[in-house]
Amino acid sequence: MRVSLKRSPETPSAPGVHPKALWSYAPQSDREAGDAVVSNLLLHWFPAKVYKPSLDWGYSFWLGTASAALFFLLILSGLPLLFLYVPSVERAYASVKDIEYVVTFGWWIRAVHRIAAHLMVVAVVLHLVRTFLTGAYKNGTGRGQRREWNWVIGVVMLLLTLFLSFTGYLLPWDQLAYWAVTVGTNIASSIPYVGPTVRELLIGGRTIEQATLIRFYVLHCILLPGGLGVLFAYHMWRVRKDGGLAKADRAALLETPRAEAPVPTKTYTLLGVARGTSPQVTTQTLEAPDLTVNAVPDLTRRALIVTLGTFALVSILASIIQSPLEEPANALVTPNPAKAPWYFLWLQEIVTLTTLRIGSFTINGAFLGGVILPGLLVTALTFWPWLDKSAAAAAGVWFAPARRRQNLVFLLVMLGILILTIVGTYLRGPYWNFYWPWEAWPEIPARI
Amino acid sequence: MEKRTHSPYPRLDRPVLAVIGLVLVASTVFFAWSDRQHDYKYYQYEFKNLVAEKLGADKAATVPSGLQQIWVPGLRRADRCTTCHQATNWKGFETAEEPFRTHPAEPLKHHPVERYGCSACHGGQGWAIDTDEAHGEVAHWEEPLLGEALGEAYSLAEDKKAFIQMNCNTCHRYDRETAGAGMINHAKTLVQEKGCRACHVINGRGGTIGPDLDFVGDKAPEQYEYGRLSGQKTAFAWHVAHFKDPRALVQETVMPNFHFSTKDAQALAMLVLSWKKTDLPVAYKPGAPRTDPQTAAEREAEERMRTGPGAWFVQTGCFVCHSVAALGVKSPAQIGPDLSIAVQDTQSRFGKTVDDFIMNPTGTMSVVLSRQIVLDTEQRKVAIQKLREAFAEYERLKAAGQDPLAAAH
Repeated sequence: MRVSLKRSPETPSAPGVHPKALWSYAPQSDREAGDAVVSNLLLHWFPAKVYKPSLDWGYSFWLGTASAALFFLLILSGLPLLFLYVPSVERAYASVKDIEYVVTFGWWIRAVHRIAAHLMVVAVVLHLVRTFLTGAYKNGTGRGQRREWNWVIGVVMLLLTLFLSFTGYLLPWDQLAYWAVTVGTNIASSIPYVGPTVRELLIGGRTIEQATLIRFYVLHCILLPGGLGVLFAYHMWRVRKDGGLAKADRAALLETPRAEAPVPTKTYTLLGVARGTSPQVTTQTLEAPDLTVNAVPDLTRRALIVTLGTFALVSILASIIQSPLEEPANALVTPNPAKAPWYFLWLQEIVTLTTLRIGSFTINGAFLGGVILPGLLVTALTFWPWLDKSAAAAAGVWFAPARRRQNLVFLLVMLGILILTIVGTYLRGPYWNFYWPWEAWPEIPARI
Repeated sequence: MEKRTHSPYPRLDRPVLAVIGLVLVASTVFFAWSDRQHDYKYYQYEFKNLVAEKLGADKAATVPSGLQQIWVPGLRRADRCTTCHQATNWKGFETAEEPFRTHPAEPLKHHPVERYGCSACHGGQGWAIDTDEAHGEVAHWEEPLLGEALGEAYSLAEDKKAFIQMNCNTCHRYDRETAGAGMINHAKTLVQEKGCRACHVINGRGGTIGPDLDFVGDKAPEQYEYGRLSGQKTAFAWHVAHFKDPRALVQETVMPNFHFSTKDAQALAMLVLSWKKTDLPVAYKPGAPRTDPQTAAEREAEERMRTGPGAWFVQTGCFVCHSVAALGVKSPAQIGPDLSIAVQDTQSRFGKTVDDFIMNPTGTMSVVLSRQIVLDTEQRKVAIQKLREAFAEYERLKAAGQDPLAAAH
């Protein structure tokens, strides 16, 4: 790509006509910096000017950008896998073996896809935690803000991310895949009355077979990523509509009131995207140059650092961590222990803890632990912006005193989930017995 | 002139971006390099040198390089073993060290490599191209290489290479004796001698006192009870110990102690572990019927025709198409006209006497008599004679008021 490094700013011949084919990497004026946003498709979703503190590493940790970078990497690494993987119960396992052993860079592509998927679950959850702890789902000073709806979209995107990962889990058709999906779908069947039907709908029959594989495959490769992509675009659009990160709203609060009312200027209410006034596009903020920076190149450079950094991290991890591929799926042999994917292990742990045995009578915890509890948590999470009655000033700050109690409850719930996940992942052995890391599991016997 | 707002970040951001870029380049170099690391490169280089040393540089130039594979669609196996074991089909390396040794010729006569591959007999993981993975010495791979090393690990009696015979028995399961599979043959003899079928179902028949052993080889290693087994915890070790002293492993068992020797116990353990469900294509099953069997009634009727008055027509093959109802011969196909009246019929059909027609047939019969049923002049005379006899019988039955062609219906 040719990036103009010419230093002398050229004046456009007419309004809306931009003198350069590409944007300038080192713009000499604000106009030249803003030109990039107007003339480039990829950059057009950025504002011309950004409230400087919203770019701070320590405010957002750029977790949303990292999630998006991982999603992009997953699509990119998924494409070659689409050409190599065969979604059939007879051939799926062999095709993954071929990817692993003989396809050039196949093992690395598969590892990148797997590691990026795991990291995306982590990044999306952390992004949600950050948004909650900073009260960033709250509306600030701008008119027409709908941050609570962007939060709801975010929750749906988290669920889609988990379901994407879960559907991908089945595809290698090995023991790990088969039994993780068995555990997962059995939890669904514990719903009273409709449970078995829900399970049948999910797996396309009563046993996990070819019908399940093709269902999960189409969901994994087409429907879910497509849906997530659309929601991602909407998520970003809403960020623009709501005037950037919640932290940006604080600019208006902090500034000293002026005699004249803020006037939206023609240059920066770009493309009519921002409705009403939003802090970074008013004359008010322009008059406080210390508080804003040009999106190009200051925001884009940081976005590039995060994106490329994420790529590098994934690539390095993929080169050193081997992707597991267990024995071919066998409905007659249950591995002991049979574990759900790690991000569902806190649920499996709760299912075990709430399964009570009184004599020969067993109360199955699958409904409580697997359906009711996560259902309540997701519902509470979804509607939290309407339950949070704190003042607008509590938006965009870490641990705002006005939100102390809810932050504490939220953190305790997350901590509980984290502990249960760690216990389920590392401390549960055969028969779901508890083993400390230094305790050896019973020897796994071999055939010969 | 317009000025650009002062940007507070670039001082640190630019070097950070540069470092990230370098890390990205380094990580790319790292995985690209990792992808090139394979054992076979060394072995192919060594083998080429070996061939050059022994057979000259011209021969060495024909040694293929890169990944090699034998794809057996019938067994759905892709065996890449020959990537390292390049000498398998080279003459002159019979005594060399593996992986540079020629494959013995004898077993390959009946089991051509292109139809059987390698792993169907030898075990291991044909998909893999690095030693440990290919030899199945990794987690989550349940078919180890059935070689000498494994035999030594179990101190197999007599033949340390005997483990491979288990895979012979995948196809040869229902044979009484299989050439070259001494241990398996020995175990099969023991099964007969000791009367295992008194209690167990074996190959589809037997008693119900003990467990059904038809597919005991499919039992997962996790499903055995190892509590009282000392040493290695594997299904094979369990069976060996169990054959030697059943009660030592399963206290409440009623299986008697046969006082098997180590060799007996090992042979039997190999045999029972080879009893697995396999979806072998029919073409790989020795002795599998290649035709649809006749019913007893069909066989009996054919036997009656073969020995009755129309025997000549059956033995010669005429009855494949023609009935000879007057002599009790009924053709299964009945494509041609009934030969009881051939003496009359040739006249009306072909305008020839039967003598003339048999000697110089036209139409379909000229083809049949020149390719499928080839008769010399003497035999043709016999044919004419037999046709006349059949017609005489036809006339006799007709005169007696019976329907001479009834037998054909």
